[in-house]
Amino acid sequence: MDNPFKGEHLLPGHLGQFFTILAFGSSLFAAISYYFATNNPTDISWKRLGRIGARINMIAVVGIGACLYYIIINHLFEYYYAWEHSSRALPTHYIISSFWDGQEGSFWLWTFWQGVLSNILIWKAKSWESPVLAVISLSQAIVATMLIGVEIFGSRIGTSPFILLRDAINLKESAPIFATNPELYHNYLTYIKDGNGMNPLLQNYWMVIHPPTLFLGFASMVVPFAYAIAGLWQKRYTEWIKPALSYSLFAMMVLGTGIIMGAFWAYESLSFGGFWAWDPVENASIIPWLILVGAVHVMIVYKNTKHSYITATILTLTSFVLVLYASFLTRSGVLGDTSVHAFTDAGMFWHLVADVVIFLVLAVVLLAIRWKELPRTTKDEETYSREFWMFVGAIFLCLSCFHLVVVSSIPVWNLMFGTKLAPPIDPVKHYNIVQASFAVVVTLLTGFTQFLKYKKTDSAKFFISTVVYLVVAALITLPIIYFTGANKLQFVFILIMMGAIYSVLANGKVLIDAFKGKLKLAGSAVAHIGFGLIMIGALISAGTSKVISENTTGQDFGADFVKVKNNPRENIILYKNAPVVMGKYTVTYIGDSIAAPNHYFKVNYKVIDAAGKVTEEFLLKPNAQANAKMGLIATPDTKHYLFSDLYTHVNMSNAIAVGEGTEAAGHDEADDDKKYEAPIPYEVAVGDTIRFRDGYVVLRSIGKVDKVQDITLNDKDVAIGAKLHVVANSKTYDAEPIYMIRNNNAFDFARKVEDAGLKLRFTKVLPQKGKVEITLYQQPESAKKWIVMRAIQFPDINFLWSGTIIMVIGILLSIFRRNKELKTA
Amino acid sequence: MKKSSIFGLVVIAIAIAVIISVYSNSSTYGSFKDASNTNSELHIVGHLNKNKQLLYDATKDANYFSFYMKDNKGEECKVVFTGAKPQDFERSEQIVLTGQMQGNEFHATHILMKCPSKYTQDKVEITEAKAKQASI
Repeated sequence: MDNPFKGEHLLPGHLGQFFTILAFGSSLFAAISYYFATNNPTDISWKRLGRIGARINMIAVVGIGACLYYIIINHLFEYYYAWEHSSRALPTHYIISSFWDGQEGSFWLWTFWQGVLSNILIWKAKSWESPVLAVISLSQAIVATMLIGVEIFGSRIGTSPFILLRDAINLKESAPIFATNPELYHNYLTYIKDGNGMNPLLQNYWMVIHPPTLFLGFASMVVPFAYAIAGLWQKRYTEWIKPALSYSLFAMMVLGTGIIMGAFWAYESLSFGGFWAWDPVENASIIPWLILVGAVHVMIVYKNTKHSYITATILTLTSFVLVLYASFLTRSGVLGDTSVHAFTDAGMFWHLVADVVIFLVLAVVLLAIRWKELPRTTKDEETYSREFWMFVGAIFLCLSCFHLVVVSSIPVWNLMFGTKLAPPIDPVKHYNIVQASFAVVVTLLTGFTQFLKYKKTDSAKFFISTVVYLVVAALITLPIIYFTGANKLQFVFILIMMGAIYSVLANGKVLIDAFKGKLKLAGSAVAHIGFGLIMIGALISAGTSKVISENTTGQDFGADFVKVKNNPRENIILYKNAPVVMGKYTVTYIGDSIAAPNHYFKVNYKVIDAAGKVTEEFLLKPNAQANAKMGLIATPDTKHYLFSDLYTHVNMSNAIAVGEGTEAAGHDEADDDKKYEAPIPYEVAVGDTIRFRDGYVVLRSIGKVDKVQDITLNDKDVAIGAKLHVVANSKTYDAEPIYMIRNNNAFDFARKVEDAGLKLRFTKVLPQKGKVEITLYQQPESAKKWIVMRAIQFPDINFLWSGTIIMVIGILLSIFRRNKELKTA
Repeated sequence: MKKSSIFGLVVIAIAIAVIISVYSNSSTYGSFKDASNTNSELHIVGHLNKNKQLLYDATKDANYFSFYMKDNKGEECKVVFTGAKPQDFERSEQIVLTGQMQGNEFHATHILMKCPSKYTQDKVEITEAKAKQASI
């Protein structure tokens, strides 16, 4: 086959495309083989075939990754994916992460992790291997269809990362010259010099680590689902929970970490102004997690008491279906204008719907078939038993999840029922209030359930310890809320505070007991303490965060301004070198430093005490990229204290558009003068002072100068300079404008003090008066460099981050414990 | 009655309460005409009138931004947003406002805009701006 297009590298694409087909084929083959292996357990050959399928699938998936990586790293812009997501200028670690910048890459991550898990299960699952891998291979086959990108019956199935640029984009349309000149068209690659590059917002080290973690979390949720299906299928109802528990804990840990990483990313470098915005995409990741946490708790209930089998099964099945539903929400474009960062429809709407439906139907049908045989307990649970309240807690997690699903899916309801509902006007407030109510119940339950035992507890003893701890928690809560200012919040938030402190205390007690000997209980105690700290941190930092950049200047804002409602104004303008007092800080925009493509604004913060002494001083460098393709992309900078963070974010600036150092000498003077207000001449003697808006100028002395820039002076020339001392915004500068007479003509050389926005000319000598004339040009306020910034103080956010780490450690301990139980059992 | 049945009823009651609270909290999409007939806040979808003036002068007021938008019924109205001008506002294809009428002006508390992405031809990006900081 002769390719008329010059310079294209078609091999990696063909190879990659081959691997996508192979990945689909092999996983389907594995699923079918494992299906028969499950139904014919005596015939070992089916199982062997299944293993071969799963391993070929892994090779194919790695092959897809290698081809795509090769394309991206070698900047083969004939491929649409490389052109769209990377560019030559990107540093290596962002080139790696541009891999999962698009939908295709994130599907690849999913299928990759699922493949890794399949191989671990082949090794570890023993008697569960066949049914569990049949389910996972089915899921693997379906994810593979998302990557195939071949046309069947006129509609494209999935989107392949190996589509060529000239197939994806109609080049003839975007560049008409190609349409008229086939020779040029065949050489189109020589005109594609560079790719689009990655969205600067994503150019962050979190982009390297967050998506792989999140997708490992999503991918690992298939394992408990597969075990639950296997249990129903094989009628090994009671057995599946034990081996599935470790995997569920693992999924819970990884997905939880991924979600918090996203929150941290948003907080550190995106301009949300917070760590959680209840965006539908954020909700989509937390929805399956909440159900999974509920499922894990009910599984533990079942393991210890044989109660609640059906709930454990249903929750486990639901958690994975919700992963797929979340994937549908974020990838199908259905969220449309309700979310900031959802993908738009890549033509996979029904494909994604089918994915959800397949697994939902599988779960529902299997449950229905086996329903009558499922183990039930006729005995009612004891009220004073741990299992009953763990069960209640799990159900409340589900209700909280239910609420998130109902609100995030508003566009889906509109689509289904033809309604025209819009999300709540103030969604953050709505979510906060409703979710807080559930959180109160959940935190209290994680507290007092610790005082209960499985089966039956002595109620008197239970009430005493519960009440004692509750009183202590209340006593601790009171000073904390008054100290942090959280007492001004709605009552429900104060209740969470108390619930969270209560939970930390109660679990602290369990932890202390654990160190005395019951070490296996440490995991859950540590995880619960972490969860309590997350709640405390989130509550204080979000609830009492304070915008300190309030605009209180009494400037004339014009007639339009008066009509505006008196909203809190959160953006403040800082002129270069003009200090502004914000809260306890005196803030000054002192300059810029540029490390292309980043432009850092140096913002100096000072704390000045009553005596006028500077007690603290630091520099924040919020950054902006003047991106040719996307405009100004701002990244905040944050000062971290142990108990609070100060977050600074530049919204706008004229410094970045004007550019540095463009006003050097040699410009047309008349043009230059336009940048200043009308000049004002002053007649001054040595020692006199000229005042201007930001300070004053003192004429120190007048003296003869020997050299004027690059002009050579001869004997007949007279050149005198006026030594001026400029004080502007409590900074001092020196300038020496020069007056010169040559051949009976007077010239003068102006001097600029850029920082003060001044231009000074020595315009006349007045010997009779013993004075000279200094002309002062002052830049209007608007021509001076300024930034519009927002500063927010987040107190106690470190509780949130440290709580996360503690929770992860706790879950990890639980995984070790459950794995040990598996071995000893 | 068994305890689990009572609990089940409680759960159903809470679920219904959730649905009702979501429904009552949800707002509607409307036009400028609807907005002038109601006192409550609502969402309006429309597009920027690029021929009329966009007013944002940070040196005068960093928190005042006004522009003219046409809703989907073609009605035009001046919109005032208390906050900094969102980046690349001029390029927006579609705007979703949240807010209410104040006399002849629509006062937006929240702007969500869709821009044709300069990165890709077949993907659009959405950015949003909020008048007030999100807090609980």
